Amino acid sequence: MNEALTTAVQELTLPLDEHRVRALSVGQLVRLSGKVTVSIGIPTHQRMAEAALQGQPLPVDIRGGAFLHLSTYVRESDGVCEPIYLNPSTSTRYNAWMPAIVRGLGPRIVGGKGGLNAESVATLQECGCVYLSFLGGGSPLLSRALRGVHSMHWTEYISQFRLLTLDVQSLGPATVAIDAQGQSIYQSVGERAKARMPAILEQMAKARALG
Amino acid sequence: MPIDSDTIQSVSALLYERALKKIPDDTRDVLAQAQKRETDATARHTIMMMVESADLAHEQGSLVCSDVGIPTYSLKIGTRVQFSGQVRQAITDGFAELVANIQPPILKMVTHPLTHARSYAGKDIPIVSYELIDDADYMDIVCSPKAMGTGRWEAAETFVYPTIEQAEKYVLDVILRAGSQPCLPIVVGVGIGGTLDHATKLAKEAMLRPHGQANPDPMMAGMEARLLAAINQMGLGAMGTSGDCSAMAVNVEYSAGHGFVPIAVSLNCWINRRTAARIHHDGRVEMLYE
Repeated sequence: MNEALTTAVQELTLPLDEHRVRALSVGQLVRLSGKVTVSIGIPTHQRMAEAALQGQPLPVDIRGGAFLHLSTYVRESDGVCEPIYLNPSTSTRYNAWMPAIVRGLGPRIVGGKGGLNAESVATLQECGCVYLSFLGGGSPLLSRALRGVHSMHWTEYISQFRLLTLDVQSLGPATVAIDAQGQSIYQSVGERAKARMPAILEQMAKARALG
Repeated sequence: MPIDSDTIQSVSALLYERALKKIPDDTRDVLAQAQKRETDATARHTIMMMVESADLAHEQGSLVCSDVGIPTYSLKIGTRVQFSGQVRQAITDGFAELVANIQPPILKMVTHPLTHARSYAGKDIPIVSYELIDDADYMDIVCSPKAMGTGRWEAAETFVYPTIEQAEKYVLDVILRAGSQPCLPIVVGVGIGGTLDHATKLAKEAMLRPHGQANPDPMMAGMEARLLAAINQMGLGAMGTSGDCSAMAVNVEYSAGHGFVPIAVSLNCWINRRTAARIHHDGRVEMLYE
């Protein structure tokens, strides 16, 4: 990774326009402020993708905003909803629905941990959207950004599966891991690891021979 | 003096809570060292955030990760131990006690394998394994909340008269397939030999081994050192976004068995949740590691 790229953290205020998002590159660190919509529910993703494909609006508009795979606990007491903590979850399990969600619902930022597949990378490039890698196990740090619940829909689901829109202030830092130029850190790191394998195996053989 | 079920219940709850709110001391040390050595700026920053996150969770009593996993406990019971009351039920009640009392509350993670309905309880939950320790008058309880973001990449395969080279290549293939998906740097446990279920048990035991304890068998220790170096040379890095440290440790255990040899690979994410306590016959509770 380029040393210079990671020395500064960019503060991004949502919603974002396409030009701003296309200027982001893999390896850059960002923080998000504004409204972010989160869910880690597979039924939620199925429902969002269906709505996108049928041209139906969601109960909350995520166009220009962020849709993140962050699991969140919301405390509900006397009609008041308070977000207590949040943390990223594995994004690849939503691969099947992310292209329809990005194409049809228009977020400029998606994210979670572990990245998305090649079809999603191509969709992000086509639509002008980036993927952010949040720190797994980073709940205490990330939760400091929580300011409140903006809206909560599809409440028939358990807390982390709901379509939840949060007010956040400086959520992050998160790493731009897939950018809108079609670059994916995960793809390049994976390909590099595979390319290194012959040399790694040769080195292991030498080490075994030495006992 | 018998060990009572109330003690087992409260220790089970305590171990789970500590595992959620603090990373093991040895793991923190390994991460801090890895950060100093890391040459990739993004990875260095990521590891710094990991240590900060762990410290903050410990200071404020919050969860390191919102995926609190599913409860798994390993019991090692001395043959001279006597019990008053139930043991299995006490573990179940201990987890229920944790769910009822922990602050902040935890999310529902226990999932029916086919309906996918989520709850705080379910068939066979907590998952408990039992082992005997001859002539001991205490019992050890190891708690390892298992989240599957990393655990889903665990694997096992049975080989025909494998060489050391083939065994090592299999472990690397598992890590390569997992790629950037687990929360790296991981701890890798490898179980070789016996039966398939025994190999997976050995892999888990290996994964939970404290840092800095190489297998006393030189053949296994050699595998551990080579595999650790090899995985880190892959360059996956912290959170899989490139870097020098992809694994904190590789621990190998083996068992004699048949010529058809199962090899199992267990993985723990960077927060490396594992806590253990010993309950002595007189009711004293001693934390073994946390």
